[in-house]
This record gives sequence, structure tokens and C-alpha cells, in this order.
Amino acid sequence: MKREAISALRARRGFLRKIGGAGAAVAVGTAGLMHKVAAKSEPAAAQKSFPTPDYDWTKHRWAFGVDATKCIGCLRCVEACKRENNVPLDAHHFNTWIERYVYLEGEDKARIDSQQDPVNIAASGSEGQYRFANRYQDAKVEKAFFVPKLCNQCEHPPCVQVCPVGATYKAKDGVVLIDAEYCIGCRYCVQACPYGARWFNEEKGVTQKCYWCYHRITKGLQPACVEVCPVGARVFGDRDDRDSPISLFIRNNRVQVLKPETGNAPNVFYVGIDKEVL
Amino acid sequence: MPKHISRILAILAAGLAIALVAKWYFTTGSFYEFGHYRGDSVAEIAAKQPVLQTSGYCKSCHSERHLQWSAANHKSVQCEVCHGAGEGHPQKGKLPIPSDTRKLCSLCHERMPGRPAAQPQIVLAEHGAEQQCIVCHNPHAPKITGVVAKVSGDAAAGAKKHAAACAACHGANAISANDAWPNLAGQHAAYLVRILGAFKSGAQTDVMMSSVAKDLSDPEIQNLAAYYAGLTCNAAAAEKAAGDAAAGKLLAKNCAACHGEAGAAPNPAWPNLAGQKGVYLANALKAFRAGLRKDPMMAGVARGLSDADIVNLAAYYAAQSCGKKP
Repeated sequence: MKREAISALRARRGFLRKIGGAGAAVAVGTAGLMHKVAAKSEPAAAQKSFPTPDYDWTKHRWAFGVDATKCIGCLRCVEACKRENNVPLDAHHFNTWIERYVYLEGEDKARIDSQQDPVNIAASGSEGQYRFANRYQDAKVEKAFFVPKLCNQCEHPPCVQVCPVGATYKAKDGVVLIDAEYCIGCRYCVQACPYGARWFNEEKGVTQKCYWCYHRITKGLQPACVEVCPVGARVFGDRDDRDSPISLFIRNNRVQVLKPETGNAPNVFYVGIDKEVL
Repeated sequence: MPKHISRILAILAAGLAIALVAKWYFTTGSFYEFGHYRGDSVAEIAAKQPVLQTSGYCKSCHSERHLQWSAANHKSVQCEVCHGAGEGHPQKGKLPIPSDTRKLCSLCHERMPGRPAAQPQIVLAEHGAEQQCIVCHNPHAPKITGVVAKVSGDAAAGAKKHAAACAACHGANAISANDAWPNLAGQHAAYLVRILGAFKSGAQTDVMMSSVAKDLSDPEIQNLAAYYAGLTCNAAAAEKAAGDAAAGKLLAKNCAACHGEAGAAPNPAWPNLAGQKGVYLANALKAFRAGLRKDPMMAGVARGLSDADIVNLAAYYAAQSCGKKP
């Protein structure tokens, strides 16, 4: 009885050893094949700089600053962004938007609206134009301010984590990009973003969001919203350059990020906002 | 090799083959090149062409405008904010020149809670009546700066010069006897220096004034201006003017920003109109409208006035008391 049991154990051990050997062989073979597959796309990696001949994404670390104390709520950034990035001209799709926080006398909670509030759409005349209605002009306003919002291009982006197909990713220069060709339109990322920065393009069947005008910054231009802001409320630059506008902005101001407790480590830095701003 | 082992190996091999085929089929070459994504997509996104061309692009053709704009306080407002994205311009056609500037300018300049105090803001209902902003403001250099001439004249010397050279037309107390000639008493000195200088240099012409001003030296102009500014302007009540002062009052809202609500200009660069001679005011407005008297601001304002408007405005200002301070 006992001898039989031992011999059975020995046989099992031998079998496992053989399986292990076969597994190792397969692994080596696979690794070899994988290497070959990777070698297929050598041209892109072989070019001197990536992704364009004039721009090397390993040499930049982009960041964005918002000075809410300067914002006048003119919404020219929203307008410019829509044109630049071909965002549908309606009140439901925005790469960037502006929120207005108004504290009335005797009220503890801020009244919050954005350009997509029906009152503001009515004031602008159509959904394709953007304007804040002067709805608090006769109210007793204790405090009010505007807050521009956009994708935070987080250091640890939850949207990237949940994408089931690898259609969104963090580029080496810090911008979270979306591969529209690979996106299957499942909208997990829209749900995952704690800032509501992503939106679904029903026409194209893909998710879109602010990408700091990647096509502009890789050409040495500013993102469209930064370019048009008439009061300098938006700041953009390279944190690896100590004298860039954003490095100075972060160094010379007490900056904060939105929802730091999520651990996403946003790369949009704010000045002049209340704790109510999320 | 025992049969059951080779079977298992065959199944493993088949599984591996399927996995590799699936990977080859479902992923493109650049997937995993840099990470769990398609490496080529980075270059594809970066290859998109910008829509906004920046103001530097506009400069290559509109250099004159660009120069004016970049020197003034709207230089932080890029060309494309008001004129739209420059992509395809000029090949595909013109860019829009905004027509409803009241709507456009108020996007930034409407007084609104939440706007920082440093932002120039107006209460729309109280500013410029229903006029378009560009009637008074040049959008490329919007700040209206009456160039305030420096006045450091001697009023006593000015009084002598006045008696000798000007009193015949403008009256002994600088209250004109003729309805077509302006009162000078109580007028802003800076305005008088500017306008006399313009007559002297020929920038402004007038049958009478050109020859008179030609003979004035700069100190004499200073003295005269100081003298007139110090006089009291309480003239005898003007005779009943031709126009309808009530109708003029409505129109005068459009002038209030510069000339004051009742014709007392808050800025010394601009003339007081209250109590001024009605016929003189009407003639001046007609001269601005016809381009005979040159002033960029007044040309724009007077362009839209009918003859009746001009007479009404003149009647309104002539009927105002001139002693009031703005």
C-alpha cells in the first residue's frame, strides 16, 4: 500500500519535471518569436527622434497651470479648443470647460454653473457659442470666481488602467493620448476618470478628451486654449526647463491639484481655487 | 515519448500557435513598441495640422494692423480670438470682421461677479447707449486716450493777448457775441492748447482760425489756454435754438462717455459742450461728418448723424448750464 503510494508520487514528480522542461522550451521559443514581432516595427524606433523628426518625447515633461484669480470667464479657450480639435459644436462635448462658483450672501454652498447651463446657452444665442449669462448681476454676491477645467494628464491615470485594448496610454512626455483607431468605444475610461474629462464622440464611436493639443506642442506651439487666453489664466510649459512659464508658475505660487486624495497625481496645477472645486 | 505526454505537448503547441496568430492578427506591428499601445499612434496624433495659426502668421500680410495691435493694450487678445481660426486663410477666403461688437466685446468686458477687478468692465445698459463699441473704440487699440496737452501758461499774459487778438470775435469775456463762434470761457485748457496747436500746424484748418493761429507762438497759446480755462463761463441764456433739445438729450447719451452727461467733459483733452453756441456746435458736427474737421473719433460718431440729429444735439448742449463740473 505504502510502496504503491510512493511510486505513484515518483511518477507524478517525473511528469511534472517533463512538463516544466517543455514549458521552458516553449517560453524560450515564444520569447524568440516575440523578439521577431517587435523587430518588425523598427523604422519608427530607429528614426533619430520620436514621434516627429523635430520633436523628441523623451526630452520634455509637460505640465499645465491655471490661475483662477485671473480668469474672466470669457470662454474664448472653449471656443478655440472646439475649433482646433474639431469637437462637436454643442453643449455636451468639451475638451475644456469653465465652471463658475458663486457664493451668495447667507448661503454656505457655492452655486456652480458652466457654459453648458441652459441659462448660459440662452445668453449666448446658440449651443455653438459660449458665454456666461450675467445672472448674478443683481444678487448679493459674497464671492465668485471662474475655474477653467481640462484633462489633468495624471501621473497615474486611471483611464489608462481600465482600457481593455490599450487604446489610451501615457506618452513619454507625460500627455495621456487616445489611439482613435484602437478605441472600441466601451467607455470604461469615461467612467474611470474622476474629473469628468473624457467624453464619448457618438459620431466617431470613440472616446475623446483634452490632449494638450499634442499636435501643436510637438510643433513648438502652445495649446490652443493657452494661445487665446487674453488674461494669461492658462500657463503651459516644460517642467524640465527651469525657466519655462510652468516651472516659474509652480515655483512662485502656492499651487494645488484637484482631488489629490485619489492618488492620480494630476499635472494641472491650480492657483486661487476653493476647496469646493473638485 | 509516451503517448499521453506527446498529446499534451501537441495541445500546448497548438495553443501557442493560436495565441501567436491571434496576436499577429489583432495587434499591429508597433503595438508594444513603447508599451501596451500602438507606438505609431503617437506620430499620427502629432502629425495633425494646427487650426489656429497664431498672430505671428497674420503679421506676414497684415503687418500694419499687427504693429498697431501689438503696441496697444489689446495685445493679449490674439487675432484669431475675434477673427476666427486662420487655417485655410487666405487661400479659402476672408476671415470674418465681427459685426456685433457689442456682443463680442461684452464677452470680456461686461461687468460680472467673479471677474477680477483688474479687468476693465462696463455695465452694458449704461455704457454708450445702443451704439456698437467700434464707434468710439478702435478694437486694435481700444483705450481712448485723449492726449492731455501740458498747460503751463500765464493767465495774465493770456488776457492781454486775448484782448488784442481774439476778443473781437470771441467776446471781451470770451463769451462769443455771434452764435456761430464758440465761447471759450471755462473751456479745458488742454483742449485749447491742442486745437490751437492744430490750427497753427495746419492739421486743422479754418478760414479765420488758421491765419490767426499761425501768428501765435507756443508760449502765447499756453497763456491763452490758461486764461480761458480760468474764466467763468456763465453766459447769458442762449436764445431759443432751432432744434428739439429733448430729442437731443436722448442722442447725447452716445456722447456722454467723453463729453459728460450734460456736456461737461471729464477728461481735459476733450472739450466741454455745455452752454456752447448752438450754431457753432451744429457747424462743427457737420464739418466732422463731411471730413472737413479731422478727428478719428468724431468722424466715426458724426457719420451716423442726420441733419435733424445734429440740430437737436446742438440745441441740447446749448441749453445746458456750463458751470457744472463733471
